[in-house]
Amino acid sequence: MAENRKAITVDARYKSCPGPLIAMSEVAKKAKPGQVVRLLATDPAAPSDITEWAQEVGHKILMISEREGVYEIEVEIR
Amino acid sequence: MPKISIIISSDRLDKLYPATILASTAAAMDWEAELFFTFWGLFALKKGYEPKNVSKDYSQYEEAILDSVESGNLPRWRDLLNNARETGKVRIYACSTTLNTFGIRREDLEEFVDGVIGAATFLPKAQDSDVTRFIS
Repeated sequence: MAENRKAITVDARYKSCPGPLIAMSEVAKKAKPGQVVRLLATDPAAPSDITEWAQEVGHKILMISEREGVYEIEVEIR
Repeated sequence: MPKISIIISSDRLDKLYPATILASTAAAMDWEAELFFTFWGLFALKKGYEPKNVSKDYSQYEEAILDSVESGNLPRWRDLLNNARETGKVRIYACSTTLNTFGIRREDLEEFVDGVIGAATFLPKAQDSDVTRFIS
């Protein structure tokens, strides 16, 4: 389990919509259930887009934070 | 599975991007997407076509878009379309009337075009969609 919890980081900073979502979904598709994926993004649409996407495809949002214009969003793959 | 249908009748950056962003986002969200390229939109499906222009009224913003593509903030339009298609959830159709009217042949179009179809074939696809858009 500890191994699974090790987050994969997707750096989509400075990418415009739909860059962060596409990057996230490509990684999510290859990830195993339980894997945590951590997205870094500067696109202001990212928190809402990723939340909607996660809800639609069935992943779980663990955490969303923002620091100096960079969003950090952690998603657990289902 | 939800589905979006989009009719695209322009080959300008400011029309192709919104249509393709919607389609690729749809695919990422496990939706299906049907794209019907007609009139000038069909030109964007010609082999090797790389859109470089925005609609005439907004030409002062052309450079901003091209810079954004160059710096990687925005993916190349063609890559966005290709990646969306590779998910297997996006289908791309060319309008048969446009082909006939402008003397374009099927072999002038990219291999990834799923079919050359008419309005009667597209309408049922649009009918069972949850969202339908016309982008011109």
